[in-house]
Amino acid sequence: MLPNFKLQCHFILIFLAALRGDSRYLELQEAADHDPFQLFNANLKRDLAGEQPYRRALRCLDMLSLPGQFTFTADRPQLHCAAFFIGEPEEFITIHYDLVSIDCQGGDFLKVFDGWILKGEKFPSSQDHPLPTTKRYVDFCESGLSRRSTRSSQNVAMIFFRVHEPGNGFTLTVKTDPNLFPCNAISQTPNGRFTLVVPHQHRNCSFSIIYPVAIKISDLTLGHLHGLQLKKPSAGCGGIGDFVELLGGTGLDPSKMMPLADLCYPFHGPAQMKIGCDNTVVRMVSSGKHINRVTFEYRQLEPYELQNADGNSIPEFCLSSL
Amino acid sequence: MRLRLLVSAGVLLVALLPCPPCRALLSRGPVPGARKAPQVPQPLDFLQPQPEQPQQPQPRPVLLRMGEEYFLRLGNLNKSPAARLSPESSPLAGDGGSRPSADQAAANFFRALLQQLQLPRSSLDSRAGPAERGAADARGGHQEALERERRSEEPPISLDLTFHLLREVLEMARAEQLAQQAHSNRKLMEIIGK
Repeated sequence: MLPNFKLQCHFILIFLAALRGDSRYLELQEAADHDPFQLFNANLKRDLAGEQPYRRALRCLDMLSLPGQFTFTADRPQLHCAAFFIGEPEEFITIHYDLVSIDCQGGDFLKVFDGWILKGEKFPSSQDHPLPTTKRYVDFCESGLSRRSTRSSQNVAMIFFRVHEPGNGFTLTVKTDPNLFPCNAISQTPNGRFTLVVPHQHRNCSFSIIYPVAIKISDLTLGHLHGLQLKKPSAGCGGIGDFVELLGGTGLDPSKMMPLADLCYPFHGPAQMKIGCDNTVVRMVSSGKHINRVTFEYRQLEPYELQNADGNSIPEFCLSSL
Repeated sequence: MRLRLLVSAGVLLVALLPCPPCRALLSRGPVPGARKAPQVPQPLDFLQPQPEQPQQPQPRPVLLRMGEEYFLRLGNLNKSPAARLSPESSPLAGDGGSRPSADQAAANFFRALLQQLQLPRSSLDSRAGPAERGAADARGGHQEALERERRSEEPPISLDLTFHLLREVLEMARAEQLAQQAHSNRKLMEIIGK
């Protein structure tokens, strides 16, 4: 056999073993038990993949941030129930009905909402979501099992349900799928870092942090990433062209929040602002002509920071609601 | 040369062919805890007409008739419930309920939260306009189409929860996620060795 061909065969064998995942299995064994062909044992991979999905009972008011199977069974009439789902910002959420036993004729309902809605305010707002509000509700009592799986348009979703009869309920499976270019997202944590990229898309994207935070924008690109950066700013802030705005408010809907700052000039280097509002949103408005990107970090404000107004902070607007 | 090409092509094909995941199918069965009484609707029989009804159907609640026109007004909370869930490192109930204290604390929190949030049903029913109630009764067959049109103009279903409570439940969900991640990591370490 030619030495080159031998080398290629060895390379291919190593490549195959790595693809099958058996290289992850490294078990310490006695010399007598040593199996030279252990790496080729397919049972080992099944051990890793055979984990049962996470399961637990769903509560009438609940928040879920991990995939799994969740069962709600009414122990008494439960008339006002909702469950929130939240994933990582770069994930979609898929809700799949495994089993539904409710009495729609008797007043029960089970609805999935694409986003979160709180006190009538929606995230994403109607301006930032591709669907009209009525289409964002998927009603099991209307669609039945024909729409058995519903995937959200962002990393948050929720269900509303009402079950009169004890013993009735439902089981659903929650999964997450990757979202390559997350457009609207709610942060799970009060501290973090995120890069919002809108590549040649005519859409508005919001990143919401439901905490009072100090936000530091480290990089803003409004234009082409390669080649020439825009020498002139995009055709003005003031709602025209591509820009980024910082919003603050006491509700969930970005369209009802107060704009605190507009950024329409590309820049590098941190620009920090403290926003003492219940909800802080970084919103990017894109025309679709450019690839826009903004990177920012955020950290939760300490209680003493909420009380003292200093430097670059806008506490007055929001402090009254705290 | 040809043999080499064939072998390489064959290997690439095998390597890049997508393998369907091997997952156990969930078998359908009755909802856990569901009574076995015949009048309880089976999940798949849900869309079929009921063979018999033991009693006359109750008049539909006003809230269902109105569809999505109402808020789920659950009240305003001025204070947060006392129970808090502290994150623990022990695994979740995925493998047999070994965290009764954390789950019990979470259940207590949500029970207390719901008790404070829930209003009597009659107060919610009274939100529906009596005029609309009477009109819906009179319409019969055209009721559904007209209701849909009305529904699209009315405020959507919502939840009246403060940000403070939303953060509380979010933090509890995060704690649950971290505990489950710790459990998965420990399982992985047990399999692949230390």
